[in-house]
Order: sequence, then C-alpha cells, then structure tokens
Amino acid sequence: MKTFKGGIHPPENKILVKDNAIVELPLSKVFFVPTQQHLGAPAKPVVNTGDTVKRGQVLTEPMGFVSAAVHAPTSGTVKEITKRVHPVTGLLAPYIIIEADGKDEWAPGLPLERDPFSMTAKELLNIIRLSGIVGMGGATFPTHVKLSPPKDKPIHTFIINGAECEPYLAADYRLMLEQPERIIDGARVVMKVLGLDSAIMAIEANKPDAIRLMQEKTPPEIKVEPMKVKYPQGAEKHLIDALTGRQVPSGGLPMDVGALVHNAGTVAAIWDACALGIPLIERITSVTGQGINQPKNIKVRIGTPLKEVFEFCGGLNDAAKIIFGGPMMGIAQYCEDVPVMKGTSGILVLTEQETNLNSYQSCIACGRCIEACPMRLVPSMLSRLGERSMWKEALDFNLLDCMECGSCTYVCPANRPIVHFVKYLKTLQREAKAKGKEA
Amino acid sequence: MMGAMLMVGGIGLVAALILGIASVTFAVKMDPREKAVLDQLPGANCGACGFAGCVAFAHELTANPEAEMACPAVNKDGVEAISDILGRSLGAGDAMIAFVRCKGSPADTITRYGYVGPEDCRTAQIIAGGPKACQYGCLGLGSCVEACPFDAMHMGEDGLPHVNEDKCTGCGKCADACPREIIALISRSANFGVRCISQDSSKEMKQYCKVGCIKCRICENTCPFEAIEVTQGNAASIDQEKCQKCGLCVSVCPTGVISSKQPPRKVQVIAEKCKGCGICAQVCPVDAISGKPKEPYVVDISKCIGCGMCIEKCPADAIERLAG
Amino acid sequence: MKDIFVSSSPHIHSVEDIPWIMRQVIYALIPGALVGMYFFGLPAAKVIAISVVSCMVIEAITQKFMGRAVTVSDGSAALTGLLLAMNLPAGSPWWLVVLGSLIAVVLGKQVYGGLGNNPFNPALVARVFLLISFPVQMTTWLQPRPFLLKVADTVSGATPLGALKTAMFEHGSIDIVGKLNLMDPFFGNIGGSLGEISAFALIIGGVYLIARRIISWHIPVFFIGTVALMTGIFWVINPNLYANPVFHMLSGGLMLGAIFMATDMVTSPITNKGKIIFAIGCGVITVVIRLWGGYPEGVSFAILIMNAFVSLINKMTRPEKFGVGK
Repeated sequence: MKTFKGGIHPPENKILVKDNAIVELPLSKVFFVPTQQHLGAPAKPVVNTGDTVKRGQVLTEPMGFVSAAVHAPTSGTVKEITKRVHPVTGLLAPYIIIEADGKDEWAPGLPLERDPFSMTAKELLNIIRLSGIVGMGGATFPTHVKLSPPKDKPIHTFIINGAECEPYLAADYRLMLEQPERIIDGARVVMKVLGLDSAIMAIEANKPDAIRLMQEKTPPEIKVEPMKVKYPQGAEKHLIDALTGRQVPSGGLPMDVGALVHNAGTVAAIWDACALGIPLIERITSVTGQGINQPKNIKVRIGTPLKEVFEFCGGLNDAAKIIFGGPMMGIAQYCEDVPVMKGTSGILVLTEQETNLNSYQSCIACGRCIEACPMRLVPSMLSRLGERSMWKEALDFNLLDCMECGSCTYVCPANRPIVHFVKYLKTLQREAKAKGKEA
Repeated sequence: MMGAMLMVGGIGLVAALILGIASVTFAVKMDPREKAVLDQLPGANCGACGFAGCVAFAHELTANPEAEMACPAVNKDGVEAISDILGRSLGAGDAMIAFVRCKGSPADTITRYGYVGPEDCRTAQIIAGGPKACQYGCLGLGSCVEACPFDAMHMGEDGLPHVNEDKCTGCGKCADACPREIIALISRSANFGVRCISQDSSKEMKQYCKVGCIKCRICENTCPFEAIEVTQGNAASIDQEKCQKCGLCVSVCPTGVISSKQPPRKVQVIAEKCKGCGICAQVCPVDAISGKPKEPYVVDISKCIGCGMCIEKCPADAIERLAG
Repeated sequence: MKDIFVSSSPHIHSVEDIPWIMRQVIYALIPGALVGMYFFGLPAAKVIAISVVSCMVIEAITQKFMGRAVTVSDGSAALTGLLLAMNLPAGSPWWLVVLGSLIAVVLGKQVYGGLGNNPFNPALVARVFLLISFPVQMTTWLQPRPFLLKVADTVSGATPLGALKTAMFEHGSIDIVGKLNLMDPFFGNIGGSLGEISAFALIIGGVYLIARRIISWHIPVFFIGTVALMTGIFWVINPNLYANPVFHMLSGGLMLGAIFMATDMVTSPITNKGKIIFAIGCGVITVVIRLWGGYPEGVSFAILIMNAFVSLINKMTRPEKFGVGK
C-alpha cells in the first residue's frame, strides 16, 4: 500500500463517533459569521446593521483574487457588525451577527437546478469563486485560486482527499458513506474545470467500507486508492508523494509537480454550488472526544455558536481542552462563544487523560522526532533553537519547511513542545522581516 | 628512572620555552589603556552599547576618538575614571532604570485559560494572544527576569516582575524581551510613573482589570505642571522632564495606577524660623497648613501629601521634611 | 472559561515518555543482571543494590544542592546505577561502588545540566575513572560458580581477554585461548564484569529493545560487526597471534557495550547514518586497544572517545529535507 517516509501511528479513537450517522443541528436563533474564514485578503461587509438577509445571500465582498466571500447561513436581520473572538487567532476580528427569523428562506431563485457539465470551465470557476468555497479540510485556501494555476504549471493529477488521517475525526468518512454521489459528481466538475479525464480518490485503509462503497460508485475514470494508515497521510504534499512519487519542492506548491488535492467535503460543496447554486453555508463536522457526552457527526450551519453545538451533543463532561480541528493540528479554544466556521473539520472535547498537560525536559537526543518528521527535518534542533530565540540559525535548519503537523511533538519522550517553538521562531522571523522591510 | 625523568623534564622545558617565545612574538598589540577601560566596564556583555560585549566596547572607546559613552551600566565615577584614562571628557547620559508599566497581578485581573507551554511570555503571546484577558498587561512568565544580565529583576509573589534599583543599569534587555513593551526605561531621578499602557476603554477594562488606568483624566486636570496627560485612547503617561514630583496625581487617582518610588515625606513647620507670612498656606494644594499672620503656621499631617510646594515657596526656609 | 486549557497543537501525546524508556532498558538488562547474580552470587546482588540506590540518592542530593527540580523519578539515575553495576567486577567493595555512583551522577551527568546535556556516557565515565584510579580492585574477578553452590568462597580468576593479553605478553602467542570452550562466554560461565559475562542474556535484552524501538539495530550490528571483521582479518593473517573473531565477539564488554552503552541516546548520534559512523569508530578503536594496546579490553575507552565526536558526526549527517531533488 502506498505511503511516505516518516509519520506516526497515534491511536485512532474514531470509534467514538464513526458509526453515528450525520444528524442536522436545529437552527440557532443567532448566528455569528466571521468575515474571515479563509486564507488570504480580508473580505468587506456589503450589508449593514438592520438589513434583512436571506439564506445564501452574499454578506461580504472579497478584496482581491486570493480572498473569499461569506454568505448568510439563514434568513433574518443583520443585528450587528462588530468584533468578537476569532477561533483561529484567539484575538478579536470582525463578525456579522445575524438574528434568525426562523423562516429559513432561501435567497431568490435558490436552490437552482442546472447541469454543470453543460457549462464551460470558466463559468464553473466563476461560480466556485462566487460561492465562497474554500478548502474544508481545515486550511481554508480559496478553492477558485487553487483551480486557477498559471499557464506554465498545468495540472495533470487531481487527487480527492478522503484520507482523514487525524485521530478522532470521522466527518469525511460519514460523508463518503452517506453522500458519495455529491463527492463523485463534485470531482467530475473539478475534472471538467481542469480539463482532466481521470482522478484519484485516496482513502486510508482504516475505512474499508468507504473504500468498497466508493469503488462501487465511482466511474472508471476515478480510481480509488487505499492508503496505508499513517499520520499525516492526508497532508497534500505527502498524498502526492505517496501516490505519484513526486515531492513538492521546498517553498513550492503542488502545482509545481502538476498535482492538485481537494478535500472530499470541498468537492461536495463544489457540486452544490455548481448544480444547485448553493454557496458554502454549512458543513459536516465531528463533535467527539471523551469530554462530550453524546458524540455526533453534525450537519451544521456556519456561524452556529459552539455553546449550542455542545447542548445538542449532551453537554460537556470534565472538559480540559476544546479543539477546532483534529487533535494533531487543531486550535484550542478558550471561549464557548466562538462559532463553527467553513474550516471546522472537527470539534474535539478532550478530558485531562486524553490530552497532555505535563511540563517538559531537556532533549535526550533519542532521534524519534527525526524518524517521525514527514518533512525530514531535525525537530530537536529546532526546539533547542526555539528555547534561545535563535530564528536565524533555525532558517538554516529549514524552519520554513515545517508544516507544524505535530508528529515530532507527539513522539518526544521529553514532552518538548516542538511545534510551539517552531511557531515562535516563525513569528520572530516574520517580525524581523517586517522590520527589515520598514528599515 | 633517571633517564625517564630527564626525558619528561626536558620535554617540559622545551614546551615551556616554545610557549614563552610564542606569547611574545604572537602577542596581539593592544593599547594599554584598553585594559584599564575594560576594568571600568561591568563585564556583563549585555550588548546595550551596541557592541558585541565589553571587550569590543572597550576597544571602540579606546581606538575611536569620537566614540561616545554608550554603556548605561557605568556610574558617574566610572565615567570620570574612563575620561581620565582616555584623556577626553565623556559625558554620561542621564542614568536610566527599568520601570514595569503594569500592576495587574492575577488576583486583580481575569485569566482566560490555563496556559500550557514554555514558561516564556513571548511563546505565551502567540497562543490566542496570551492567557491574560488584557492584551496590554503583564503575562507574568518572566521573560524579562530571564533576560536581565545583572540579576536585577525578580518575579514577585504578586506574579509581576520587580526591579532591583541598586542592580539595574538601564541596559534595556528586559524591555526588549517583553512582547508587549510593558517595560520602559525612565530616568533614575524620576519618582512617579503610570503602571498601565492599556488602550482599551474604561468600559472594556472594567470587565477584566481592577487596577488599570481608566482614562478618567482626573490626573491630567489636577497636575499644575501639565506633566501628565491622557492622549487619544491611551493610558495616562508622565512627561518626566515637566514633572516636579509634587505627587498630586497620585493622591487623586481613583485606581491607584500611578506609582511612586519614594512615598512623599510629609512636612512640618519649624516654629522658631516661621515668620507667619502665610505663603505656604496659599500654595498648599490640599489646604493642610493653617495659621494666623505673624504667628508660626501649623501643618495638618493627616492632610499633607508631601508635595513640597510649601518648602519651595517659603522665604524663611522654615519648613522641613519629616524623617521617613 | 473555567478550567479550560489552551496550548499549541498537537494536543495528544504518545505514552512513551522518558520514564517509560528507562523502564524498558531496565527490563532489557534484567536477564544479564540475573545471570551475573547466578554466577557470582550474593556479592553481585549487593553491588547492583548499592549502585542503584546510591545513584538515586546522590542525584536527588545533587539536584537539591544545585537548586534544580529533583527528577529521580524519571528512572535515569536508577538506570545509570544498574548499568554501572553491570560494568563493575562482582566482588567490588561497597565504597568503590558508591564512589563510582558519585562520579557517574555528578561528573557524568549533573555538572553538564542533567539528563540530555551530558556528552559522555555517565556509567562509562565512572568505570574508566575507577579503572585508572583503582586498577587492582577493578581487575579482581570472581570465579563464576552456579548460584546455589558455595557462595561464600570468593576465588579470583582472570577474564578470557585478560588471559589473552597475559599470554601475549608472557608467551608471545595465544595458544592458551584454544582451551576456551565458546559456550562459556555465550551463556556466561566466565570471569568478567557483573553484567558482561553472558552474551546470550545481553542479546535477548538487545532484541527486546530493538523490537520496542528504544534503540535501533545500527549501532549494535555495526559495532559488533566491525570488531568481528577486523579481528577476523587479523586472525586469518596470523592465528597464533590473534584470537578468532567469534571469541572476540563473545568476550569482554563488547556485547554489553555495543547493545547498552554505545546505544545510550544522549551520547550517540541522532541519525541512523551518524550511528553507523559512530559504531564503526567504536569497533575500530576497541580492536586496536584489544590487539595492540596495554589494556585487555577497549570497549569503554572506545565508546568514550567516540562520544566526543558525536557533535561533529551529527553536524555531518543531517537528513536531506523533503522537496529537494525529486
């Protein structure tokens, strides 16, 4: 089975939620929609306090090409446009707060009924852009930008990412089991946009039923490839390496080796946008962990407050950490008032036993981090340089190639917070670069 | 036996000879004054002078006739000594000292979450903006204490860093280490400072801090010398050049965020000298002095704030500070 | 929010922490220690007990004295104690063991900043210090005898390598060696340090450690392999002067050194390529000392010398990062 060098095998813990069919969360009364749910330039609100909005209506205008719009998750009134805590940075960021009117009425004309395969690639790309679709595996990179590589970097390998390598998460798995057609049709739309006649769907071997079902349902041009179960198999650079043997060059992008990877959820959202005209206003996410009483896979609208998700799932129980995303790369939250966003691939509630609150020691040079690092770096050195704020020397140790996957930190017997040190060094480097530019 | 001793002894002698000759022929020519200058420097290699340590700075001072005295850790006597050695006068700058502009201990502020990670304010800052609700307040993890090359900082029981004024040289390493620029260098002769740099409104601050600057401007309105002001959403700050150290602002501040190094010493009238002119009573901002003309005036100690205006204005030199 | 914790990602951690690793190494040493106690009796048990206890006590006192957190519970002091005991003659007097513990913990580890910061293997630092300072006590070997038999008699004898070196110096040839049955050093019925006598017991421990991924196979294989190859070459050239490679592999501290001492994580290179270079260096120096040096055994010196090169080896063998080349 195909794989890459390095990586780790943390306990999967998907059993908590993987056999739970997707359930829809009842509509909230108030929605908190951050204007920034993507990587790239911010988006400007195009509604004002007091405006009535309908479900799917545009709320913000992207500023520039690498940017994305957000849309209203339901019908109602714009209550306030203000700053609140953002789940990604933990700092204040602009939000559009919508008070739902309970009617949940679509914007006029929606949902549409059209045939994406009769449209041109250019038209499809425009629809994807206007629908605010971003990478739903968590990175939230604007999809239309990914699908518009420059002419000198053509794509010939399109990979649908069904790996879901993070422990605990099962949202993509349930999507594959329950709504395979959306994924397959979305993939075919992407193939049309890219002008390809084949694609690969990668699924980790711990989802044998999903693999079988997909193998049954996919047309011959989409090949289902079972992948060896290893974290971070779902990282796009490593998917590409495992499937094609090509390594994305340091500092480069998948397009540099002619490849493109989309999360299964993103691809399903692309279908909704192209065939039904529905923008990205909801997603499927796993609410799981020992700290939540009733783990569920929920279909939830963007902007739903975390508090209501917890209530729906039976409430918290001895929660020590609340994480947006998976346990390896997710972002810990300190506030229940944050909303579910486009990139919230999971909501983890971990108890103290599940997580690790211990202090750390000196590096004992055991070498496990080097074995584990999928980018073939020397994490122990980066952690030691981080302790001394030596970002310049860290650049020599390929600091900027670190993708912060957390494999090194997971295995370190001395419990060293290596990713934290890497983030810190990168912050120092950014600040120095900014100061240098000023000077 | 004899042969072995002679052999080893002989090798030793030859080696010593070689080392001796080398130490003379390969000696680095150094200006003899450089060593004397180096002795006056603290040897902490803190880098505040801008050079790679005390040896480098000593060399610069000696070799470069235009070099200025950039080491904050040398006191007036030391600067004089160096001036004598080098045969030119080096002006010592105003001696500076570190001042921590935050009073928010964990008891008086809101902590948002339990921070797990390296015990360093800079690494804590990148995790959701740090565990403290106030984005301008001290995180109390001690990056400044670590950074101090003179052992002049220590973390207090109140979770805030404390400056040991005897050891502090004003090198500024602590200020560089603080991710929120809470530590400022102020003149050693300054007596008052505002311990807050928050730019949040008073409404916001009330939610998470009991002891910060609420920008009420009472201090600004009270100061007779226009030495303290609240500008554009910033916390109050003192212009040390204008400050006359009267201490009025401290006495009127509702949150107690203005700190004073030396608590003002109250005064008393020297009855034998007092001519009873009453000027002191006129200038006293808190009406603590009273009396009748041509009779010795009396200070009401309970009202006196020790600002010393009366001492300045008394034509008979009849008012003195009480012992501390 | 009340009692909620926030840290950087990742938020889960492997259970294999430092105390876990130390425990696994101790388990792997148990077969070797048991064989030592079987053949040398109560004195061996005493040496092990004194060594482990004094290492732990001395580490606690030292850390307290130095104002550091006391970390004895992480098991590294206990492991150092056990390794030191395995490297000492079974009849060592108590004061020798305590002195060794003091050197190992203080000079070998704590002065450098504690676990992770020492450049030299602490147990070997102690052993070599004792060997040079107290050569008589450190080369007085108890004769092995099955446990339940008369433990009270302590009869001294030589180790196979010792006999080899003596024969070389006295007779200029090693005909004595032919009289040695190779089963003895394999199972342990020979003279030697408490823990080095049974190649079999040590190999079992080594296989366990490799299977548990505590150590990698590179150092033991290349260390022992280099010794076998070099001694093999010289044995072929002149079997009267040089013992056969199997003899060399099974005798002395090679098994203990190659499997447990040279593989100490803190003092060996961090990459597999580096480990190979390190192991080959250890092997070469060991053979040079064994064949032509004044000491009968060279493993301890070889490892300490190579420890000094680890920093350089690490620099030379950095892995090539992802995204270069292909």
